[in-house]
Amino acid sequence: MPQFFLNKRLIFLLVSIIILVALIGFSLREREELTVPEQFLKDATGWIQNVFAKPQGYVTDFFENVKDLQNTYSENKELKSRLDKLAKLEADVQQLEKENKELREILGEKESLRDYDPIQATVIGRNPDRWHEIIIINKGEVNGIEQNMAVVSSNGYLIGKVKSTQQFTATIQLLSAMDPTNRISAEIKGNDEYFGTIEGYDVDRELLKLKRIPYDAKIEKEQKVVTSGLGGIFPQNLSIGEVVDVEPDEFGLNQTAYVKPGANFYNIRNVMVVKRVMDQPNLSEMVDDEEEEL
Amino acid sequence: MRKFLLPLLFIFFFILESIFVQSLPAEMFNSERILVPRFLMIAIIFLTLYGNRNHGLIYALVFGLLFDVVYTEIIGIYLFLFPLIAYLTSKVMRLLQANIVVISVVSLLGVALLELCVYELTFLINKTDMVFSMFVDLRWLPTLILNLAFIIIFAYPLKRHFEKYALSLKEE
Repeated sequence: MPQFFLNKRLIFLLVSIIILVALIGFSLREREELTVPEQFLKDATGWIQNVFAKPQGYVTDFFENVKDLQNTYSENKELKSRLDKLAKLEADVQQLEKENKELREILGEKESLRDYDPIQATVIGRNPDRWHEIIIINKGEVNGIEQNMAVVSSNGYLIGKVKSTQQFTATIQLLSAMDPTNRISAEIKGNDEYFGTIEGYDVDRELLKLKRIPYDAKIEKEQKVVTSGLGGIFPQNLSIGEVVDVEPDEFGLNQTAYVKPGANFYNIRNVMVVKRVMDQPNLSEMVDDEEEEL
Repeated sequence: MRKFLLPLLFIFFFILESIFVQSLPAEMFNSERILVPRFLMIAIIFLTLYGNRNHGLIYALVFGLLFDVVYTEIIGIYLFLFPLIAYLTSKVMRLLQANIVVISVVSLLGVALLELCVYELTFLINKTDMVFSMFVDLRWLPTLILNLAFIIIFAYPLKRHFEKYALSLKEE
């Protein structure tokens, strides 16, 4: 054994541990963008993943179609019952939209926090170890994607934000990732509107935590939760999910609501990256500590 | 052409892990258990044991770095763990008889060790708050079962391929 400790292998091991710690420290830093070699590697593998993504899509689509066929009958029944309501709803929406537009014109307000430009993208990769909930999409800076933009699933629910961008690909961090700096300013819809921030994910119950709601807020189950747009980068009114449970927080000064996300974090095929139309406030002027709200 | 076969095989396993996670049916995920494919690690261990040890370590290093950059964006964890585990398995195999069953068990142990180390490191850098017992139930055991299935199916083809590779290296 003592011979082992004099071994040059041990020194090698110790040196590599030091390098390991240094590298992890380097990559955990809040980074504005990835280094050039990293971007190059990601784009290169993104290209290969793109090649595989197409046939993979066909195969999974085929199996999903078969599965869909199985419960077509029951679905059809339910959808028919909803169809009657839909016609009325559509007419209402049209009228309201027109009215809203007219009123806005009277007020002279052209842009709203709600407007956004969507960018369609396909998922080409996902982190296999699933400690970091990351997916890779096939659109990048050349398509106008920037860091911290909101990402929405094909059924219209918020699923995450853009973590980093390369020329031709971008990396997206899902809402289910545990990241203390990942905060989203959210709003609970109801008779009264309450604001809070989405902070963290309960892996056990698969629910999002909506914290910092005022202690006297009366929140009921099944109330809808949407983004408030007050964070500065996300547009307003992107659906997140609905409230399942409300608890007072540890000091009793605030409440924490548990929100069931409307998007499925698995089997994501197509996503929409959302670019807010209204100008973004200059974050560096507003935020004085390191954490930023989205 | 033969020269490119090995890198292509490893790139294929590298992509396959992501495809596997992406296209596994949702119900399997929603049942809370998390199955992590470690096909790349298994292929590296087999290359180290059946093919050439030094080549195995080089592949471990290169693909460890690639894994870190592409999938986790935290450089260092896999860059360090892939070569370390490949090296440890090659040391362990010096004491054991080299037949396919023993090597399969050793590579499964390698995957178990990798998963455990990755958990400890992720816990250390505060990217997860999963407690250990939950980790064992939800991740460790399901992952081992999945990778055992992979080893049972692919052990023999991988062995044959890497033995041929070792032979072609000797001939040169």
